[in-house]
Amino acid sequence: MAYILIIDDDLDFALSVANALHAQGHESQVETDFEQAIGRMEKHCPDLVILDVMFPENKCGGFELARAMRHHHERFKNVPILMLTGMNTQFPMGFSSRDIDKNWLPVTSYVEKPIDLNVLRQKVEILLEQARV
Amino acid sequence: MSATSNKSTFELPLTGEATETTSGLEHAQSLSLPLLYENIRWFCRLRWWVMGGLVFYGGLGFFGSWLARSGLQRPGLWPWIIAVILLLANLAHIRHALVRTMSRARLNLWSQIVLDLLILTAVVHFVGSCSTHIAFAYLFHIVLACVFLPRRQSLIVALLAAGLYVVCIILEASGILSEASIWADTDATVLPITTASLVAQVGSAIGIWGILWYLVSHLSAMVRARDAELADTNHRLKAALQERARHMLHTTHALKSPFAAIYSNAQLLLEGAYGALPTDAQEVIQRIGKRCRGLSREIQEMLQLANLQSIGQETSVLPETIQLTELLDLTIDRASTIALERKVILETKQRPAVTWAISDHVSMLLENILSNAVFYSRPGMTVWVTCGLDPKGTPVVTIRDEGIGIDPQKLPHIFDDYYRAKEAALHYSDSSGLGLAIVRHVASLNHIRVQVESQPGIGTQFTLYFPLHKPAHQSEPA
Repeated sequence: MAYILIIDDDLDFALSVANALHAQGHESQVETDFEQAIGRMEKHCPDLVILDVMFPENKCGGFELARAMRHHHERFKNVPILMLTGMNTQFPMGFSSRDIDKNWLPVTSYVEKPIDLNVLRQKVEILLEQARV
Repeated sequence: MSATSNKSTFELPLTGEATETTSGLEHAQSLSLPLLYENIRWFCRLRWWVMGGLVFYGGLGFFGSWLARSGLQRPGLWPWIIAVILLLANLAHIRHALVRTMSRARLNLWSQIVLDLLILTAVVHFVGSCSTHIAFAYLFHIVLACVFLPRRQSLIVALLAAGLYVVCIILEASGILSEASIWADTDATVLPITTASLVAQVGSAIGIWGILWYLVSHLSAMVRARDAELADTNHRLKAALQERARHMLHTTHALKSPFAAIYSNAQLLLEGAYGALPTDAQEVIQRIGKRCRGLSREIQEMLQLANLQSIGQETSVLPETIQLTELLDLTIDRASTIALERKVILETKQRPAVTWAISDHVSMLLENILSNAVFYSRPGMTVWVTCGLDPKGTPVVTIRDEGIGIDPQKLPHIFDDYYRAKEAALHYSDSSGLGLAIVRHVASLNHIRVQVESQPGIGTQFTLYFPLHKPAHQSEPA
């Protein structure tokens, strides 16, 4: 069993992901404010973070949090991050898994909403397995 | 924002207030820096031609008898001396321009203007200030000043030219400078000089310069104002395009997110996360989930198509050299999610191939064709993706499926907006009918040739011929 933190401002979606992961035997928590996420992680370090990109007051909040985890918090440097967003992965001004970069987009993997929950569970298992190795 | 205890006040600033103050005349007064540098370079090249002319004239001194027969007198040393001064001055100007261009500092044009006018006055004196029409050479400087400089500065140049010419005439008339001319017999060419005729001659010349200065500077100011207006419009258009792209990004996010939440909640219900559901309810929820996913995809495609239709040859999205295998790997990776869900096998065989196109466009094109191949296949079927070069060296990508195929009569219509063949709609009802319309636009914008071969019940193959080089009419991005 792993502890997974879901950081997404869409509570409906985040809760459904939490439930799906719970059904798989994982413990999960939802945080809708990315600015509070580090504080929550400090209390209980997650094994995996599922992170949205756009937040109400900051359209790049997800990017900033991922960079903060990788560059300013030694403890969370190696926590796998699965970026999960409804943002267009293509033109215009889009981005995709090929943009994963240790400075600009330091996440472990990227998937686009809406996602099949079975596919999401598979992704989660792969990332957790990779982190264990 | 002002704040007193807990009460806050904020006034919405009027849009455009800040930009209005900087527009218009300020830009219209002078040339942009790159244009100014370009013109300075041109002017320096022009000086070499003037030097050539002076050296040629000085060289004619070696053919004294021929000059005498032509009614000209030997030029003496003055053309050589002036050519050397001009040479040194031009080298100094070029050095000054290079140093200032590299450091992006302001150029001092006035030293060049004054020195050029002084040299011209010397030439006017030696050629014959009254015996020839050389004085009209000042017009050249006045007109160029009108074109390159703001109106007030061009007036200073015109006044400086007139002043130097008048000084030259006064010095000659008062005998301080001995009169000179290129003509051997000055008596035959020079009219009897009286004070009145001199004043009339100089006055008429300066009058013509004044009128020309007024006309040219007025026209130049109008042209510059028009240029500034066009530059401003161009700037606004670029800003509007960027704003539209941002807006589309946010719209896509705002529209897709609720559907993602509905879809995942529907899946939870189907999985029995909140207890077993009757079969009828399961079917309804299945339909809800399916429509959510379809709608989400349709929103994305509609936005992409709208953007492609309006983008035309917009320059902010530039083509680049693309490794097709890299893009194909990413596309296959993305399509593998749907393939997994639909139990379709993806096979690929790739060789390196490079093309010149807009990367995001090619991604869109490949993803649309590959996802169609998956959607219109049946579980257990295979989709093959190949990449390489044809015998002519053209980069080619093929995407072949064993799916439902397309009726030959319907084949010409599959790239139309919102077109859906009956059989296709029966097999996969969630398609928006926009995927291949996007392919058509992308292919047209990026000069990609698309060939489709299909047989109902057997399958379809898309062959994509990519441009090897950039088209001749497209220039390298600055």
